[in-house]
Amino acid sequence: MSSHREAPEIAKDPAADSTDTYAFVSPDRPGTVTIIANFIPLQKPDGGPNFYEFASDVVYDIRICNTGSGFADIVYTFHFETMVRNPESFLYNTGQIKEITDTTWNRPQFYTLTRTENGTTRTLGTRLAVPPVNVGTRSTPDYAHLADQAVHTIGGRKVFAGQRADAFHVDLGSVFDLGGLRPFNQAHLIPLAKMDGINSVQSFNVHTIAIQVPISEVTRKGNKPTDVMSRDSVIAVWSTARRRTSRILDRSTGRYVGHGKLRQVSRLGNPLFNEVIVPMGKKDVWNIRKPGFDSAFAKYVLQPELAKLLPVLYPGDTFKNLKAYTKPRADLAAILLTGIPAGVVDGFQNFTGGRQADMLRLNVAVPPSDNPNNLGLVAGDAAGFPNGRRIDDDVVTIELRAIAGLTIPLVDPSYTVDGAASAIEDGTTNTNAPLLDVFPYLGLPGGGYQTEPGTTKAS
Amino acid sequence: MSETDRRKFLAITGAGAAAGTVALTAGPVFAASESRRSKDAAAESVVAYVEDHRSGRLRLMLGDREVVVHDRDLVTRILNAAGGK
Repeated sequence: MSSHREAPEIAKDPAADSTDTYAFVSPDRPGTVTIIANFIPLQKPDGGPNFYEFASDVVYDIRICNTGSGFADIVYTFHFETMVRNPESFLYNTGQIKEITDTTWNRPQFYTLTRTENGTTRTLGTRLAVPPVNVGTRSTPDYAHLADQAVHTIGGRKVFAGQRADAFHVDLGSVFDLGGLRPFNQAHLIPLAKMDGINSVQSFNVHTIAIQVPISEVTRKGNKPTDVMSRDSVIAVWSTARRRTSRILDRSTGRYVGHGKLRQVSRLGNPLFNEVIVPMGKKDVWNIRKPGFDSAFAKYVLQPELAKLLPVLYPGDTFKNLKAYTKPRADLAAILLTGIPAGVVDGFQNFTGGRQADMLRLNVAVPPSDNPNNLGLVAGDAAGFPNGRRIDDDVVTIELRAIAGLTIPLVDPSYTVDGAASAIEDGTTNTNAPLLDVFPYLGLPGGGYQTEPGTTKAS
Repeated sequence: MSETDRRKFLAITGAGAAAGTVALTAGPVFAASESRRSKDAAAESVVAYVEDHRSGRLRLMLGDREVVVHDRDLVTRILNAAGGK
């Protein structure tokens, strides 16, 4: 979760595996929108000597649709190149890295950033530096300084690409152990002692691409909308990773060589969509499809497997009303596939039309909240998920509760919500690295030297 | 000799190659006169992909491009070569 290793094929290709996508009006620069896409999941910070890095044979994209078509109108693309300064050394760094330009970093990365709109691609920046990974106290003694040096300003934009701390929190160990939610262990079909959730992602890093651009650069009319109820105020966002069609092992170098067109191998709009909505047999094909073709997956949203499992895993009257509810889940379809139409939530909409497409929809006319509630829209904070997604939004709880029936009354007032639907959670809190108040907002990545081992318990 | 007949002929005459290295063309005389590279010929490694052996469709991948060729005879010769003949 939210999309870490979520499909069989992409789980074998971590360098192209998208993990989370965020989109929000920048709280410190409200005339801009920030879009962040994370890749390469569950990086153990001490994973040397070949530390995690962007793949130079993968192209990473942030895609924006501002017409409701389900197809990208604007694409920001990151092309990475890797330099090896001394191929005769096995070391990632041959001394301390105090500046991003230090030649002691043996494997620096750079990228070219392009922007494509209406079939025209424009290069925004070349040879943009990526920071090294956070090797440890000796090698990267002032990591914050290195990370700051990798924030590039291009006109009115800020861009960053590099390692960060994962900001997602979830109890993977329990959730994927037969749908366990530790705070509700006693109510589970296989009961265990009740306990707090464990944030499985806490000590892991990811690789991030991030842009902060003027809102007028991504809206349909090229302006900064102020009318929340206007369709022109809504943009929709997702990330993709692409590889060449074929990979051939070059026996002279021991490296793979790509041939052919770049083909999408991973995508991510709404958190958890492919993870818990799309069934195992369709996950791989979902990853290579464009959102505009998502009507083929709508049936899994309208009758989600997890909604059927909850009353089984938590038997008795826990989810009595959910169990009895057999109508198609129009609430989930609105949240995940079309956006929420006007008239459902007072004074709010992020509807993009009838085209069903898994995209993260953001109404940019909604200003940043002065008092953010990490349960977002369901808690009355329209600046949060599912209106875009802020880094600290607790999307696991929001989506668990939605699937458990909390949002059904938005479209079907006759439905009575089960008490558990308002309380259900995995019991984790954000125990990840502290977030920044400024771009790129994600916390600094954990250092290798500073890493402590996890559990070895087998029972 | 028609183009199709010529290709069949080439496939047949190339069938005597040593195991593991199957020739797709005939001997040097034919190769020199009939398989001359055009000025637009690829000058890099190429991956050829026959996705469906029942079709005459061949996908050629080179660099960041792909070329789809519809040539049942060419596909047949590739299939024969892949089969060791």
